[in-house]
Amino acid sequence: MMNRETREMSKYYIFQDSRNCIGCHSCEVACKSNKGLSTGPRPCQIITIGPKFVGGLPKSAYTFMPCFHCENPWCVAACPTGAMQKREKDGIVFVDESLCVGCKTCMSACPWGAPQWNPEKGKVVKCDYCMDRVDEGLKPACVTVCTTHCLHFGTPEEIPQVRRERYARAMTSLE
Amino acid sequence: MTNPICEVTNTLRFVSEAISSGRLVHPRCRQRAEEVAKLVGDISWGRGGPEHCGAIENLARSLVEEGPDESCVQLGREILASLTEHREAFESHIETHNCPTGECVKLAPAPCQMACPAGIDVPSYLTLIGMGRDAEATEIIREDNPFPWVCGLVCTNPCEFMCVRGRMDEPISIKYLKGFAAERAMSEMRYENPPKAPDNGRKVCMIGAGPAGMTAAYYLALKGYRVTIIEALPVPGGMMMVGIPRYRLPREVIDRETGMIESLGVEFRYNTRLGKDVTLEQLREEGFEAFMVAIGAHSAFKLMIPGEDDYPQVINAIDLLRRVALGDRHLPGERVVIVGGGNVAIDAARTCIRLGCREVTVAYRRTRSEMPAHEEEVIQAEDEGVRFAFLTVPVAVEGSDGTLTALRCLRAELGQPDEQGRRRPVPVKDSDHPLKADAVISSIGQVIDRTGLTTLEDLRWSKRSTITVNTVTMETSVEGVFAAGDVVSGPATVVEAIGGGKKAAEAIDRYLQGIPQPKWPQVPVRRRRLECLEVPASTKMIPSRPHMPLLNTDRRRITFQQVELGYSENAVREEARRCLRCDICRRCGLCVEICRDKMGVDALQLGYLNFDHPSPTDLRTTSERCIACGACAANCPNEAMVIKDENGERCLRLCGTVLNRLRLEYCEQCGAVLGPARYHDYIAKRTKGVSPLVEGRSLCVQCARKIAAGRHAEILPAQ
Repeated sequence: MMNRETREMSKYYIFQDSRNCIGCHSCEVACKSNKGLSTGPRPCQIITIGPKFVGGLPKSAYTFMPCFHCENPWCVAACPTGAMQKREKDGIVFVDESLCVGCKTCMSACPWGAPQWNPEKGKVVKCDYCMDRVDEGLKPACVTVCTTHCLHFGTPEEIPQVRRERYARAMTSLE
Repeated sequence: MTNPICEVTNTLRFVSEAISSGRLVHPRCRQRAEEVAKLVGDISWGRGGPEHCGAIENLARSLVEEGPDESCVQLGREILASLTEHREAFESHIETHNCPTGECVKLAPAPCQMACPAGIDVPSYLTLIGMGRDAEATEIIREDNPFPWVCGLVCTNPCEFMCVRGRMDEPISIKYLKGFAAERAMSEMRYENPPKAPDNGRKVCMIGAGPAGMTAAYYLALKGYRVTIIEALPVPGGMMMVGIPRYRLPREVIDRETGMIESLGVEFRYNTRLGKDVTLEQLREEGFEAFMVAIGAHSAFKLMIPGEDDYPQVINAIDLLRRVALGDRHLPGERVVIVGGGNVAIDAARTCIRLGCREVTVAYRRTRSEMPAHEEEVIQAEDEGVRFAFLTVPVAVEGSDGTLTALRCLRAELGQPDEQGRRRPVPVKDSDHPLKADAVISSIGQVIDRTGLTTLEDLRWSKRSTITVNTVTMETSVEGVFAAGDVVSGPATVVEAIGGGKKAAEAIDRYLQGIPQPKWPQVPVRRRRLECLEVPASTKMIPSRPHMPLLNTDRRRITFQQVELGYSENAVREEARRCLRCDICRRCGLCVEICRDKMGVDALQLGYLNFDHPSPTDLRTTSERCIACGACAANCPNEAMVIKDENGERCLRLCGTVLNRLRLEYCEQCGAVLGPARYHDYIAKRTKGVSPLVEGRSLCVQCARKIAAGRHAEILPAQ
């Protein structure tokens, strides 16, 4: 259905080397604490897949689900108030809280469940790559705390080629 | 006057500003400021308790004393200054749950309650009446007014003039509903006094058993005082008994409600006139420590025209009404002219009809629309055969051989408005004519009979010949002597006298307990915060209040039976459900604005919310357009607009009125609620330009994320 090329169209990209992720949820915690959120909303979330038996051993995978900052976002189209916007300079999709009236149309429109409900404020909250931090030259909160350094933030060109390298190594055994 | 600025909100504002400005660099200081903001916020949102003010004071003091820097000390001082200066406002917020300015959103009062001189919590008792809980409704009313039944029959209902429902169609019939509840509670033997405080042994004396005197007696007796009322007449009630005719207010109503006050241990001494039968000194010697003068205004203005004093057939309306009330049913004359246009003139005219006068004419200087009398009563008087001579100015009383024969009058036309805005009658030249009569009843206003009070030399009187009081505490210029009712206000209404009596009771209690008197007028107390009654929009829209059934006209012309027969129970319950609950909805209009301007849905047609420019209201049309997005409810500052999922439907209610109900759809993966189809249509319409919706599946936020995550997961063999 969807392919990555069409939806990860912001200037930035968070790459998760899921192979190294241990599912500690530090990213989620740092995200929520950075945005001052109570229980409920998770602008980014680690989804546990599995466990499955692989080669006789139980294995799980952990997928990092932030907002993908689509090229042509459903949420922005659905928002009647103009609160949900795509930032001109770098394509970050964010919500201007002062304009949000809490109609939740963005939440219903997003195929990935990225916009989240903040019941304390009665408004929507979502991953904006911590754009205030980004503007200061910092990385998003989730990336800075990742214990296994499996989250990488940057432009697509800067993303490490870990998977390709790992694959190559797996293919060519020197033994 | 009421302070136009809410000092609680103001304090909250400057403390929050100090916190967000970054001025408070020291963490301990910032924390204290935040705690102050939290406590002030509690008060502003109706969560304040008796310890809040003290706690704020302590925190502010520690800011001043422990600093450590100038900005903390400064803020601490500001908080202390605000708290010291406006302690009453803070405490009033905590005690009354009412912010008269309406700035504290949750405490914004209903206009009907603010309009009531006795400050009754109207929305709360209407809701209870709507539930059929009449005794509890009566209990709430009596927290502010010990005469719900009397007021339910004769109140001038200023509440109904302020009723927000009046902007929509017609005001709620608040007065009659109150009367119904009190009558029902009395009839079911569930009209009860609240528990009384233990006897404190201190004696207080009321002078006058009218509404003001009895109200003060009631509240003081409840506080444990030994109250005695001295009354010049042989009956209780004051003007309620001898001013208001029986066909409007049956004696039993006054007697039963007076009985409730008497059963609290209040002693009534009838036929005891101050200054004649007893003096203030004698009463002081008896051990009374405080007095309240509530002698009313039982004398009448004279017409000041020639011939007035020459004929015994010229009487005044107040004397006539008193005589009739006390049992004398002789008619003043066959052909009667009543001069005046107020309620008392109408009462006198209708009384004359009932006494058997052949011809009763009310002569009034202006026209019908300028009459101070109530419209309904004028109509009822006409139905009974009272004639009106408008634009008629009396100039002389004429007669022969000591017998009155006519009232000589001039015709007039309306000229320029006077300082009160009423157009002044200007006599027409050569319009002199006689109105044939054998009795003339003057009804041009009442004055206070000062004769009993002349011994009180220090008592200050106003230019209007009323007793001058501190309007907050009803204290007169004589220590320990308070005053309330018509003797202070000049001829006014029952409910104003009750309001005055209640204020005086509070002040007398403070005086005797040595507690300082308040600086600002008491704020009406929000007695309850009741759940709204659930009503379908179509029921809520029933436009008019019920018609009051009246006694047939023939019987009205010959008996003093009660004219207004009262509503049926059904009508009362239905009427109570029309209440818009302005104690909950503060009519800010945010819901309408968001629905129309932000969502572009425009489903809320609530024109009544706009005070200055009301436009049409239709609660039923909401369901035609509303998509149940819930933005109105999410932004309602007071939980008046509520959206809730129940029984497979999403339901939108405004103060209990069901505006919309839509069937819900559910997540096909986990069964979580998604919202109604119309809501999804709204989104689909907006997003159709983006790209076709993914697989067209109905998924909740959680499942959408999980499924998307699963697609990307790589579970690889161990290396």
